[in-house]
Amino acid sequence: MSRIIRKMSRRAIVQSLLALPALSLFRSQQPVADPDEIVEINGWILRRSDLA
Amino acid sequence: MIFDSYEAYKQAGFKPKACILGSGPAGTTIARKLGAAGIPVVVLEAGSREFSDESQDFYRGKTVGDFYFDLDITRLRFMGGSSNHWAGWCRVLDKQDFEPKAWAPDTGWPISRADIEPYLPEVHDILELPDFRPDVPVSDDIRWVQLIKSPAVRFGEKFADELDQSKNIAVVLNTYATELAGDGKRVTGAKLWSNGQDAGTFSADYFVTCTGGLENSRLLLWSNERSNGGVVPNAAALGRYWMEHPTFEGGNAILANYSEFEVDGSNEAFFSPTLAAMERLQIMNFGVRLIESPYPNVKKLIADLACTAPNMAEWMSSQLDQKLRCAAQLYVAWEQAPLASNQIELSKADVDHAGVPRIELHWKKSPLERRTLLEGLRLFGTTMAQKNLGRVRIDDWISNGGDYPTNEETAGHHHMGGTRMGADVLKSVVDANCKVHGMDNLYVGGSSVFCTSGQCNPTTTITALACRLGEHLGKVIAV
Repeated sequence: MSRIIRKMSRRAIVQSLLALPALSLFRSQQPVADPDEIVEINGWILRRSDLA
Repeated sequence: MIFDSYEAYKQAGFKPKACILGSGPAGTTIARKLGAAGIPVVVLEAGSREFSDESQDFYRGKTVGDFYFDLDITRLRFMGGSSNHWAGWCRVLDKQDFEPKAWAPDTGWPISRADIEPYLPEVHDILELPDFRPDVPVSDDIRWVQLIKSPAVRFGEKFADELDQSKNIAVVLNTYATELAGDGKRVTGAKLWSNGQDAGTFSADYFVTCTGGLENSRLLLWSNERSNGGVVPNAAALGRYWMEHPTFEGGNAILANYSEFEVDGSNEAFFSPTLAAMERLQIMNFGVRLIESPYPNVKKLIADLACTAPNMAEWMSSQLDQKLRCAAQLYVAWEQAPLASNQIELSKADVDHAGVPRIELHWKKSPLERRTLLEGLRLFGTTMAQKNLGRVRIDDWISNGGDYPTNEETAGHHHMGGTRMGADVLKSVVDANCKVHGMDNLYVGGSSVFCTSGQCNPTTTITALACRLGEHLGKVIAV
């Protein structure tokens, strides 16, 4: 990894670092868990919010 | 009039129109109805006024299949029948219990709840019940239902004086029919056994067997065998579709406020599913009984919850400090799917002292019932969580598909089916009036005529059906 970075120009490294935040746009969006959803864990029937 | 032997009865010269076999809730109620209508009736009671080992021995039998109680401890053979050890819990089958259910074969009665409702005021007098309150919906899925713990009427004690003084009713103790004889149209007579010996034959215009949810089938199976099918001409369903109310501890609950449900004197409250929930999940009816937990169990339960939901456990713990009655054990009793394979047969190897084959009961719980147990507890637990009324933990053996425990309640000692009511002669034994298909003068009383069991204790419904049969028979005989 470090050998690759040594071969990159300083300009390319800066451009790569600037582009990193934009990558999060392409990540799949995690659904927000419904706190009232009923879940069954270890035999308990709970609301998801109980697990907080 | 009450006689201690058939010999004493014969000397009195009483001429009955009808003969009722058995003096339990069904037999006594039908006799009182006929007596009140001015119809002379004789009641043959196999036992005496008190329990005896000798009489009880006639009830010994064998069970094949799932674990069940010894058959001679599940009912009582003396005046008043099994009302003598009845706990007194009362509720009438729900309206939905009478309806056919597309997801459960062979369900549905030929009568509806409306057919027995006119008799409920009479039943309330007999069983000394206050009025039932309507069910309270807790959610779209769960109803808070009422099960009244009545004074547990012992029919033999309560009505002994009335029967003794009646001019129309003769009760003959220590006497019963070992078999009925029939010609395929009518019962032509009965072979009697009294005080430990053959007492000859007896005849009456009408016969009503009210010997219980096991013995009705046994008597008719044996009689039919001896009469070459002359007692129950359509016998395909005879002894079949036998049902109980399996009952097991299903888990625990921690409640936000135990008094939310106005528990009864035993700190118990009862819940059942709505028809919509049963239909959606395709399960049978069930009853969840909530019983206050002893304190050490509560601490253990909260410690278990802390592993899964620490904050919830902390909140529950604080609730516990405020209200020591915030936790409960959950017992589940459920309706069995009616199965032809659950049946009463006559033993090929064992007979009682009178030479009548003992019972061989074939009984197994079905996969549908196992699903009813699990989904029922989930349904109840979901309602509790959604409504923030509490939290439920289902026992591991149920969640994990383990074997039924053999050290628990097992069942309710409720014997139903065997001579079920219906229109199809291949799947039933009696018609909507409890008359044996094809026979002019043979009727059946008691829970053996139940088509389905519902989830509640059967005595209230047995008594209502007996009032209805008594009234019907009174009209038939009076013509």
